[in-house]
Amino acid sequence: MTEAPIFEAEGIEKSFGGIRAVNGATMDVKRGSITALIGPNGAGKTTFFNLITGFYRPDRGRARFDGREVQGRPPYVIARFGMVRTFQITKALAAMPVIDNMMLAAPDQPGESLRNVLFRPLAWRKREQEVHEQAIELLDVFNLTRLADHYAGTLSGGQRKLLELARALMAQPRFLLLDEPMAGINPTLGRRLLDHMQRLRAEDGVTFLFIEHDMEVVMNHSDRVIVMAEGRVIAEGEPQAVRSDRAVIDAYLGGAGHGGIE
Amino acid sequence: MEAGTLGPGQERTMGERFAHALNRFSEAPYVVKAGIGIFLLDLVLVLADRRPDSVGEWVLLLAIFAATVAAMVPLERRPAATAAVVLANVVAILILYHGLHEVSQRGINGLSLGAIYALGAVGLTLVYGILKLVNFAHGDFLTFGAYMAYLVNVTWELPLVFGLAFAVLTTALLGIGLEKVMWGPMRGRGAGMLQLLLMAIGLAFVIRYGIQFVWGTELRQLNVNRTDTVNFLDLRVGRTQLIVIIVGFVTLIATGLMLRMTLLGKRMRALSDDLDLAETSGIDTSRVILYTWLFAAGLAGLAGVFAGAITQLQPELGFELLLPIFAAVVLGGIGNAFGALTAGIVLGVVIEWSTLIVAPGLKLAVGFVILIIVLIIRPEGIFGHARTV
Amino acid sequence: MTDPLAIFPLGLTFEAFTDIDFWTSVGIFAGIYTIFALGLQLNVGFTGIQNFGQAGFMAIGAYSMAILTAEEGMNFWLSLPISILITIAFGLIVGLPSLRLRADYFAIATIAFAEAIRLIALNARDLTNGAQGIFGFDDSWDSISESIEDFIIDLGWTDVPGLFPLFLVTWGIAVLMMFSLTRVQGTPWGRVLRAVREDEDAARALGKNAFSYKLQSLAIAASIGAVAGWLLAIQLAFVVPDEFQPIVTFIGYVVLVLGGLANYWGVAVGAIILWTVLEGLRFLELPISETKIAALRFIIVGLVLIGLMAFRPQGVFGKREEMVLGD
Ligand SMILES: Nc1ncnc2c1ncn2[C@@H]1O[C@H](COP(=O)(O)OP(=O)(O)OP(=O)(O)O)[C@@H](O)[C@H]1O
Ligand SMILES: [Mg+2]
Repeated sequence: MTEAPIFEAEGIEKSFGGIRAVNGATMDVKRGSITALIGPNGAGKTTFFNLITGFYRPDRGRARFDGREVQGRPPYVIARFGMVRTFQITKALAAMPVIDNMMLAAPDQPGESLRNVLFRPLAWRKREQEVHEQAIELLDVFNLTRLADHYAGTLSGGQRKLLELARALMAQPRFLLLDEPMAGINPTLGRRLLDHMQRLRAEDGVTFLFIEHDMEVVMNHSDRVIVMAEGRVIAEGEPQAVRSDRAVIDAYLGGAGHGGIE
Repeated sequence: MEAGTLGPGQERTMGERFAHALNRFSEAPYVVKAGIGIFLLDLVLVLADRRPDSVGEWVLLLAIFAATVAAMVPLERRPAATAAVVLANVVAILILYHGLHEVSQRGINGLSLGAIYALGAVGLTLVYGILKLVNFAHGDFLTFGAYMAYLVNVTWELPLVFGLAFAVLTTALLGIGLEKVMWGPMRGRGAGMLQLLLMAIGLAFVIRYGIQFVWGTELRQLNVNRTDTVNFLDLRVGRTQLIVIIVGFVTLIATGLMLRMTLLGKRMRALSDDLDLAETSGIDTSRVILYTWLFAAGLAGLAGVFAGAITQLQPELGFELLLPIFAAVVLGGIGNAFGALTAGIVLGVVIEWSTLIVAPGLKLAVGFVILIIVLIIRPEGIFGHARTV
Repeated sequence: MTDPLAIFPLGLTFEAFTDIDFWTSVGIFAGIYTIFALGLQLNVGFTGIQNFGQAGFMAIGAYSMAILTAEEGMNFWLSLPISILITIAFGLIVGLPSLRLRADYFAIATIAFAEAIRLIALNARDLTNGAQGIFGFDDSWDSISESIEDFIIDLGWTDVPGLFPLFLVTWGIAVLMMFSLTRVQGTPWGRVLRAVREDEDAARALGKNAFSYKLQSLAIAASIGAVAGWLLAIQLAFVVPDEFQPIVTFIGYVVLVLGGLANYWGVAVGAIILWTVLEGLRFLELPISETKIAALRFIIVGLVLIGLMAFRPQGVFGKREEMVLGD
């Protein structure tokens, strides 16, 4: 693999008051890989996601996605580049139906501009049709079709997590960042989700970076692992190699671990 | 942003460009931002007043500008000190144009109003910080207090001191009663911010028009001395005003000490900082909340009597004071009692100073413009500490 | 001391008018408040931004129309679109810095803006004629009104109330607005607004420029407020600062929550209920003075608002699932 990485971060730093949540994190993500980001609780993984997707402004450091600088850009611009993230605490749009949650995420909908709505009232309807079909297809994958017309607020925790994933996929990302996607989902659906990730990678070349605490999932489904602790990247490599890395074991044993490495 | 990377309907709007420019400006070095800010402020002051008419004045103006910017640079992370420097800049220019005497005289005029704002703001900020309640009925607590004093002082013809005590007591009871029947139960149901805010507006209507129902809309006066003045150092201040200033400041200092020294005060501030944390750390929050209402409403009652004493009573007395009181709360940093106290007094004085430049009818508008500007530059207030999320 | 009743058609004494005149006037106020609160619905019910400065936008719309017509001698019909543009400009000026603020700060900032506008209108006498207000901007309207009246008389209704044409036009505009807003709300644009209302960060993570949508929402609400401002000015035949007190915005919120959030047609229902109840109280034979009755009406408004927020925060006709208050 000599291809340029799809994403590179260099020396990202962020402090909150006196706490340095991310302290010079540097990493590459290979194009077309499924990369796991692991680390003990409070390692700064979620904060790192927030920093590279524009939700927080880094104090220092640079991040590039597919050749473009992303640090300092607002989240919606980064998302339009094709770098889409989900949230650890789900953000279902509760008072909107599931189908609207999905359709919202579709890119290139001219009907989202007021000008088109007022002056070209027909221009967006065809796109809306396509988007609706895609949405139903994706809901099918996650067993949510029968809930399409329910308000998202009525869904269970696991269903919301799935909805958020499906919604992120609707945005047609080239690089998908998932913050603990399996948490709260039943194992069968978890499997389907993982299979779907594999398929998207194979068919559309989507790259994944996912935060995960379940080591079995990490070992079996990722092809690279990056380990963070105390705001830094302390190790990276093949899953098996990382697992036996001295620094990683120390970090998990030293930190207030979430169960550590099984 | 590279062209062609965005889909249709996703081109940047004017608003985005502007927002981007603002962001870029916010990343400029502090000296540049301070310089531009102070330049604009001084420009407004000069244009609103008059052009300097001698070389000496020009030189002095430039010196004030330069000194202000120089003084601000080492204070980059200290908003309260920065605000003091900006204020000094304004005072210096006003003195340059209008003389020390005029500026001091208006400053004294502003103190009584400042004391009223501060008394109102301390309670409002505690309630806001602790209960997350944007209490639009707080102004009407002031009105309520004023009319309670009127009842004792004018209807029953007793001395105003009794009226004052009665007002503080009844308004405090009103506050506690409302907590029991309204705010407590609503909090229990997890009511949202707008829901509580609209409820407070409803309550404001009930109190204000309840007062109008009983006393009508005509202007009423408390039985106070409106003519005597006290003179010192060539400055004059009305006797009633002076009493308001003295009693007001003593109360404010006592409140400040209570909040800083006593266990109850510390708990109030802890709750206002973080209600959930205080709850988990084992403070009996519902008791502290009751005391907070007692204080907030009692001080509002006192402020209302003062406002009635130096002006006249009418059912909108307190509502007309509410927005400047909110301004003091925001300037001081929501939930920060010391901030509200200081900001209230300063705001009263600054508003009075503004009458050196603008029509007196616009002095409140000046207060609102200050509020909006501070909200834009520093939404967490001058005395608040920056909080993420 | 301002008379809070200035917003009510109290100037009409009951005996001097037949019932139909009285209710026509009430109907116009209900229509004006419907339009006024439609802007609030767009902001609060569909975008989640708590605009408390709507009375300020109404003032800017009414004043710019009146100043352009009566003082600058501009054609009345031309002054309307221009006053809309001016109001939109103010919407942007207010929104650009303040829409980044937290919801409660935004509410305070907008009410402060509206009060600043009112105080300026009161004091900038050269421009606004201060508390005396501006008259004589409505000649063009009067001629239109007469044509409509003649038309109705031709249809066979001979004793048309003088204000009936304004009633028709006000409700015509209100219905048109409710219809178009409902339509636009159903488009992808409206969907993004609702997403912003639900969770701004989620919308941003999906590539939506939440800030720009909030700004658009505020600017449109401002222009809707301006239309309500014209109609109020025409109804009263003058423009004075007192008509734009914060209480106008508060009553707009009462209309909004009465009719229910996230429903444009509900706004009209809310306005009609509120005005029927308020004016219906006049017919109660109460042995108390006019001021007391007036006070009583507002006490009832306050109690209704408290009761709604306590027991039915989604409003009388709001959908519980789309309830945007609470939680
Ligand atoms: N907005 C914030 N303000 C203050 N501190 C924060 C903020 N966000 C994160 N932190 C702190 O930064 C550190 C890193 O938190 P982060 O949520 O990034 O960890 P994490 O690796 O995602 O942990 P977990 O596995 O539990 O999700 C923590 O100490 C946290 O308290
Ligand atoms: Mg996390």
